[in-house]
Amino acid sequence: MKQKQKYIAIFLFLLPALLLFVGLLIAPIIMSIYYSLFNWNGLRALDPAKDFVGLKNYATLFNERIQFGSALKNAFILAGLSVFLQLPFSLALALALGKKIKGERAFLSIYFLPVLISTVVIGQLWLKIYNPEYGILNTFLRKLGYEGENIRWLGDQSIALGAVFVPTLWQYVGYHMLLLYAGVKGVSPELREAAKLDGCTDWQVNWNVVIPTIKPIIKVSVIFAVTGSLKSFDLIYVLTNGGPMKATEVPSIIMINQLFKANQYGIGSAIAVLLIILCFFFAILIGFVFKERDIYGKK
Amino acid sequence: MKRILAVLLVLAMVFSLAACSKDDDKKTSDNNNTNTSNTSTDSSVLDKEITLTLWDIAVEGDGNRPAYDSALADLKAKYPKVTINETVTENNAYKTKIKSAMGANELPDIFFTWAGAFLGDFVNAGKVHCLDDVLQPWIDNGEMTAAQLGNSTYNGKHYGVPTTYNIVTLFANMDILASVGYDHIPATMDELNDCCDKLLAKNIIPFGCAGKTDDTWCVTEYLEPIIEKTIGAAALKDIMTFGKTWNNQGVASSVDLLQSMIKKGYFDPDGMALGNEEVKANFMSGKYAFYQNGSWNCGDFANKEKVKFNVKAGEFPVVDAANGKLGMLIGGPSDTIAVSEGPNAEAAAAFAVELGRLICHYGYLKGSGLPAWKVWGDTSEVLPIVQEVAAICANAVDYVLFGDNAMPADEAAIYLEYVSSVYGGAVDGAAFIKGLTSEIR
Repeated sequence: MKQKQKYIAIFLFLLPALLLFVGLLIAPIIMSIYYSLFNWNGLRALDPAKDFVGLKNYATLFNERIQFGSALKNAFILAGLSVFLQLPFSLALALALGKKIKGERAFLSIYFLPVLISTVVIGQLWLKIYNPEYGILNTFLRKLGYEGENIRWLGDQSIALGAVFVPTLWQYVGYHMLLLYAGVKGVSPELREAAKLDGCTDWQVNWNVVIPTIKPIIKVSVIFAVTGSLKSFDLIYVLTNGGPMKATEVPSIIMINQLFKANQYGIGSAIAVLLIILCFFFAILIGFVFKERDIYGKK
Repeated sequence: MKRILAVLLVLAMVFSLAACSKDDDKKTSDNNNTNTSNTSTDSSVLDKEITLTLWDIAVEGDGNRPAYDSALADLKAKYPKVTINETVTENNAYKTKIKSAMGANELPDIFFTWAGAFLGDFVNAGKVHCLDDVLQPWIDNGEMTAAQLGNSTYNGKHYGVPTTYNIVTLFANMDILASVGYDHIPATMDELNDCCDKLLAKNIIPFGCAGKTDDTWCVTEYLEPIIEKTIGAAALKDIMTFGKTWNNQGVASSVDLLQSMIKKGYFDPDGMALGNEEVKANFMSGKYAFYQNGSWNCGDFANKEKVKFNVKAGEFPVVDAANGKLGMLIGGPSDTIAVSEGPNAEAAAAFAVELGRLICHYGYLKGSGLPAWKVWGDTSEVLPIVQEVAAICANAVDYVLFGDNAMPADEAAIYLEYVSSVYGGAVDGAAFIKGLTSEIR
């Protein structure tokens, strides 16, 4: 009887969180899966018998015009850059700041500042930097002696993607740095001292002691970097909205355009479902990769 | 002491109410001086306490904001028991917001919309209130013509109150044109080409056009008049509005003409990286000789503090005289006030008709558009540049609605993608009509 009461108490305590979880996360996902099976504009009432198209919306995503595959490729490039460029840079900063250097707190605040600023403000800032005529970048190049045509950083198909990724990566360096910094600070000083006594250099201490110790945090950073790249939207929307001519499109941009510009609610929902699946897949994959390489050899 | 304080507070409130009342009386008086109409809607529904929600795009700095302010002030004085909760949203964000609200059944009582297919989608969803009853007295009295209601009429029923209407206008910096020997806007393609070549020889960029993804509509402001002046208004209307095929060689040659102008350097090469506000600012600072865009810009270009040179309004020359004619225009009544179905629909409809008419009146006076309603009151101070546009419209042969308004949203999205590719040089005339034919019709 007591056991039963205990379970009822657990259930009642968990119920509010469960309701929130189901209502705010599970239900919208199920709704999105449902809507992704219909050819529906989201405005009129849905007629399940008439509007049902099965998996056609998913196939439509990969046609020549929508080019979801190309947008996905852009998101993967961003994810790759995040993992192999942004995170090592953030880690280097975290390790440097973790050494109790002079002005540690000031540097911490400065690097974290872009995370605190609104993305729209950052977008406007970089729009000014990239302006072909008066932008600081072209002005700087002209000072260096560049005499060619204005470089259209956000208007040239061949360079726009790179130009959009620079601020996207820059904005979250501070975020990952702070996560990793917390990990670095959590490493036991005794471990460092022991390594030093064994004759390790600073580099060897970091490589052999600090980094392996903060692997769980690195894993979290990698998951955030990859899933964040797959979901990237706001800064790209402000800078180019996927242009010029789809050169900087990522899945979320296509999703919004299909939902609210083309009134293709079914296709937009299909993209949402694919993004959810991809994010879960990569989160599990990254978890698996890091588990395999645990320093203690455990799985 | 408390009693004295209370008496003082009451006196202060009485005086402030008296002051407000005096101000409102003045506004009503201004209104009565100008409003000469004998027509009125049944306003009994507005004589009781009611709160109506209004959504529009007249953000601070928008050309229409002064017209909205004046119109709402007039109506506040006329219907003191009606409270209007206005929410303004920037144009692009508004398109998303209003569609989300429509899907969620949370439309405001009164909302700004674009006529044509945009409003048509809402009407088809059964969520827009029919305005036949409230508009009929105004039509009967000649204050409003059925033609002006055409773009917001579906299956013979009227669902929108037009405010001002606009056309694509070729704005010219006459000081720059004078520097290359032109005292008028080029009237033929030969003259236009000659003028552009002379401008280029003086290192002046002839045209400015925004090409950023959200501003692709700016490219259509060039492409659509060229197509219209090549194949004629009726043929373009058949394609845009009545669903005829895009497989038209005249359309292909128009696209090629626009691209040849771009290749010759007639357009700012930075345009693809710029938004419309940046391009407009460039024109206003004297960087370009021409800027082809909506006539809603008239008010800004007439502002002598912002624009230090003489701007004239004209239309794009005829490309193929066999079909195209001067007076074939892109535009027409598009800016519209609509009313959602709901418990307040009746009052909102009565209010919306008067609101639309007043926005039209003040918008015309302040240079944000041409009157879709019969003009009333003192119009002696209408801006000269607006009068130039009005003169173009007076000689109008035909109007074709802006393409992205005329087409359903899914088709418009595809169309704009192709237009963007045209401006970027990725698609030529043949590929343009082939793509649109296969993807739309």
